Amino acid sequence: MRVLAETLSASIMGVEGLPVRVEVDVAFGLPALTIVGLAGSQVQEARERVRSALRNSGFEVPARRITINLSPADLPKDGTGYDLPIAVGILAASGQLRDLDRLRDTALVGELGLDGGVRPVPGTMALAAASYGAGIPSLIVAGGATGEAAAVTGLRVHGAASLGEAVGHLAGVRDLPLAEPTQLPAIVATRRGPDLAEVAGQALARRGLEIALAGHHNLALCGPPGIGKTLLLRCAADLMPPLEDDEAIEVSRIYSVAGLLDRRAPVLRERPFRSPHHTISTQALVGGGPRVRPGEASLAHRGILLLDETLQFRSDALDALREPLEGGSVTIARVEGALTMPARFTLLAAFNPCPCGWRGSRQRECICEDATARRYMARLSGPLRDRIDLWVTMLPPAPGNATSTDGVEPSQAVAVRIGKAWRRQLERQGSANGDLPAGALDSDRGFGAAANVILAQRARRFRMSPRRIHRAARVARTIADLAGATEVAREHVDEALTYRGAVDS
Amino acid sequence: MIGVGAKGPVAAAAGLASAQPRLDRDHGGWTGIELTELDREAEAPYWIAISLVPGVGPVGFARLLRRFGSARAAWAAGPALLEALPRVPADAAPALARLRREGATRVASRITASTRRCDGMIVTALDPAYPGALGAADPRPPVLYLAGDPASMARPCVAIVGTRRASGYGRSCAAEIAEELARAGVTVVSGLAIGIDAEAHQAAVTAGGLSVAVLPSPLDRIYPPRHRGLASRLVATGGALISELAPGHAPGKPDFARRNRIIAGLARAVVVVEAPDRSGALLTAAAAIDHGREVFAVPGPIDAIGSRGCNRLIADHQATILTSAGALLHRIGAEAGGRPVSVTSLSDTEAMVLHALLQRPGSIEELIGRTPMPTGSLASTLTLLEARGLVESYGGATFHPTLTARRIGRPSGLDS
Repeated sequence: MRVLAETLSASIMGVEGLPVRVEVDVAFGLPALTIVGLAGSQVQEARERVRSALRNSGFEVPARRITINLSPADLPKDGTGYDLPIAVGILAASGQLRDLDRLRDTALVGELGLDGGVRPVPGTMALAAASYGAGIPSLIVAGGATGEAAAVTGLRVHGAASLGEAVGHLAGVRDLPLAEPTQLPAIVATRRGPDLAEVAGQALARRGLEIALAGHHNLALCGPPGIGKTLLLRCAADLMPPLEDDEAIEVSRIYSVAGLLDRRAPVLRERPFRSPHHTISTQALVGGGPRVRPGEASLAHRGILLLDETLQFRSDALDALREPLEGGSVTIARVEGALTMPARFTLLAAFNPCPCGWRGSRQRECICEDATARRYMARLSGPLRDRIDLWVTMLPPAPGNATSTDGVEPSQAVAVRIGKAWRRQLERQGSANGDLPAGALDSDRGFGAAANVILAQRARRFRMSPRRIHRAARVARTIADLAGATEVAREHVDEALTYRGAVDS
Repeated sequence: MIGVGAKGPVAAAAGLASAQPRLDRDHGGWTGIELTELDREAEAPYWIAISLVPGVGPVGFARLLRRFGSARAAWAAGPALLEALPRVPADAAPALARLRREGATRVASRITASTRRCDGMIVTALDPAYPGALGAADPRPPVLYLAGDPASMARPCVAIVGTRRASGYGRSCAAEIAEELARAGVTVVSGLAIGIDAEAHQAAVTAGGLSVAVLPSPLDRIYPPRHRGLASRLVATGGALISELAPGHAPGKPDFARRNRIIAGLARAVVVVEAPDRSGALLTAAAAIDHGREVFAVPGPIDAIGSRGCNRLIADHQATILTSAGALLHRIGAEAGGRPVSVTSLSDTEAMVLHALLQRPGSIEELIGRTPMPTGSLASTLTLLEARGLVESYGGATFHPTLTARRIGRPSGLDS
């Protein structure tokens, strides 16, 4: 007796799913169960789970030599989602499941309990997208994971509570109900951070934040401790417009892989707002590890990455941000090849001007040695510095100046302006100004000859590098968008240059 | 190595107390020595050689001249010359023995060669090229190493000194005073340090004037290294670099105390622009007072840490309060230079913002309360004014009107 069966499943590479074929061969020989195809330890443990689940679901484990191959065999695999396809494959190969019609166009993803129950696995959304992308029209997942899987438009998703139910459906004995396609959740305004109305003064920093969020430009705030850098930047969470439909699916998939999705509301609508602590490792920041997982940079995709006390971060971690800041993605080199994860975020940085924090302050003396202060600022390496579009130096209010919050704009009003500016950008060019490649700003996009002449003049006067000029142009475009202007005018360029930052003397 | 950070000012503060007795007339001792009787050519090698002995400073050298009559005679006295010094460091005797083995003439030609290599020259107090004001100072360095044009110091010199941690206010004041002095034909002297010093040098040469930097290091190792470019610009525009340390011979820490005394000796007046409580600039002020130079201090807000030293100089009547560069010129008897260049036509908003800045410079934050404009327009207007050379920004945080803007004065049609 020699029977070969195949079931379909999928694996995660970075944040992308890849279709995987589970081949089961039942042959004569000493009873054994072997899994090959670069199967990691979690997959190896599937042997025990599958054995018990089969037995406890009333099936029998053939006392033969069973070989399971996960194909493509050169792709490393881990996770518990292969339990269900392996179990079904054994049933098919041993003749316990006879009707193989449905098996040919149904992919299976699920972890098995010893009692035969099917449990959800992380990354279900990415796995569902991958199997559908590979031309497999149906998918069986754990009952609790249907919402995530059904977010993939067009895919027929069935939720199975147990191995028995899944087999019953595949055999055509008792059909599992088709899961309702997951609707994008309605946009509801929720509060995640403080309100701008709580921030006293700091008009320039507020304005900088508004521009940064409206056009996806990277912002740096530098100032003494206690001046409100953190409070202000935390307001950003509630100022961003919601994710567009396609963005929502894209971001949710990343969160699905990271196991951070709420299964009851599997599609995210709010822009990510991530603020990792400064002790974070490089791996946790940009992703990596033996099983590559998305890092904070990818979790902030299409949203905000706030690095409070930026200069306290490990310098190798900061340097690792250069790639996503430039290209909007992270590439992780593995022995098996490089894999790429999306990471297009808006960087909000906040730091003190020196280790003690009081350099440049009028009120208190800085106690740092010059060399120490220089080394401290040098942690922000040149290439990283170059990728910051807006610089704001925050000063304590002069004595006698009001520090009250009277008459300051609440978050709501600012969010409306940002939302409108975002719409204008989408309608004009389909992306944020901050994500435009060099040279993309031309007269078709409202950056005409007049704006170019002014910018060139100013660039000569202020000795700006081509990269800085290009960044200033995009910021000017956003300032014009905030003002509702079709054409970028002189005042927009000039304002953009106010945030160009100090040239080190 | 940079021992400047905390150690510099601390050491300077410690030196402030002890500096007074050491600079005392009795100890200075150059007054009354008839240098004209000495043979310049014959003496020079001995002056150079002796000045290289550790412990022989401006004061010690004068003692030697008094005791032995000439440097040549002092050299001939051998190790006995050390006995005449007020303070003999441990390495003085071996160093003197080494120099004597080499011979004064060969030492002098070796040092001359290393000075030439950095385009410099050696000037002793016997030379006619020795800077005039310094030649009347007591004590005065016996040997100077000089690059650039010594004639730049034949003009009236005013020193501008201040903290390395300069605020926007300090920088703007330093630049304004330096520019005004340079236009009036006064040579601006400073110490090439980061902050106020650099600002003053820069503004003076930009205005087409002359500027002299007194180095705390030898000519072959410009300190701080990041101002090498500025140093060569000073020389290229007709100014000079001076050092008391021999190139190629004197490695070691930059000597700020000696530099400060030379600055004070060179200048007719010393302006302390911005100095916190323990600043090296205060040591220069103390040396200037000792040399009988006039000291001016730029007042600062009473809550500004960076201006405490200046405010104290004024409060203690050690310095004259400086209210404008013009007043300073009047005081030292020079005429204010050329008049404004061109008046750019300003729009109403531009005039309003400039007007507000002329009343009181400050941050955007402070201006917001005083101009009825949205933050964005205010920022935009400030950058425009900056591009037109009417406003200067420091780190995009604080804004100051430039000298040109001050000359235009208050735009007409606006009430104050």
